[in-house]
Amino acid sequence: MNEWTLIEQLKQGDETAFKTIVDTWQDMVFNTAIGIVQNAEDAEDIAQEVFVQVYQSVGSFKGDSKFSTWLYRITVTKSLDHQRRKKRKKRFAFVRSLFGEDSEVVIHPPDFNHPGVALDKKEDAATLFGAINLLPENQRVAFTLHKLEGLSYQEVSEVMKTTVSSVESLMHRAKTNLKKSLADYYKEKE
Amino acid sequence: MKQQSDLEKRLEQTLSSLDGVQRATPQPWLFSRVKARLSRSEEKTVWEAVGTFLSKPSVAIAGLILIMALNGVLVFNQESSPSVVTSQSDLMPGDSESLIASSSSFDFENLVQP
Repeated sequence: MNEWTLIEQLKQGDETAFKTIVDTWQDMVFNTAIGIVQNAEDAEDIAQEVFVQVYQSVGSFKGDSKFSTWLYRITVTKSLDHQRRKKRKKRFAFVRSLFGEDSEVVIHPPDFNHPGVALDKKEDAATLFGAINLLPENQRVAFTLHKLEGLSYQEVSEVMKTTVSSVESLMHRAKTNLKKSLADYYKEKE
Repeated sequence: MKQQSDLEKRLEQTLSSLDGVQRATPQPWLFSRVKARLSRSEEKTVWEAVGTFLSKPSVAIAGLILIMALNGVLVFNQESSPSVVTSQSDLMPGDSESLIASSSSFDFENLVQP
């Protein structure tokens, strides 16, 4: 079925259309979220939130961009919000622990294993994800969309509402920063 | 020199570890969980929504500042306005007596005889 027909049906509140939309785009949403938050449970939660928002605000989707671009934007926003909340909680727990209050400091697992990585590359990919986590938000988003979702620079620029040259610059800086973090990591390891 | 080229090779290998990565897939029945979440959010009553809105720190702080400002305005207005006549001595002497007299005469006139 055509994507516009599905969207129109969803605007009418058609549940079958909504199910088709979830089934069609769930992997894309989940994979993007897991790339940013680096945690399968959190990514699952974000994927649910994304589709709830799609259902509730599909009326505001005017079709100026592709439906998948709109979905990517919602997913990226929700994933970054989730990470910021988690970091805030971590900071708050740390401050509380300084004052001797009994609270567990939530530490993100350092070696996240993406389920789609081939077995022989798991270790390197886990190290790379650790370095990706240290990148500034916009570089992390550009790198994740390009490397994990396979989007072209043009598509990444549409999702991030920026120019292709900005994306090129973001990717260049991301690679430089990743090389620096990884070099430090390997030198320390030796 | 060799160490540097080894490191370069290691970095390239790590950076290319995501080449050919497959998409991660969520647990089955995502649609059912989305539906359950949707019905939970629709069940949220108006009062819950109001409570959630008011409990936002920015709204709560703004409300507190507004209440304090209103209090300040009220106190300032009260201090600047002329004092209100309240004591018994401020009333005209004749007024209070006639009031008592009229009320007692009314009571006598309406007294129910056995």
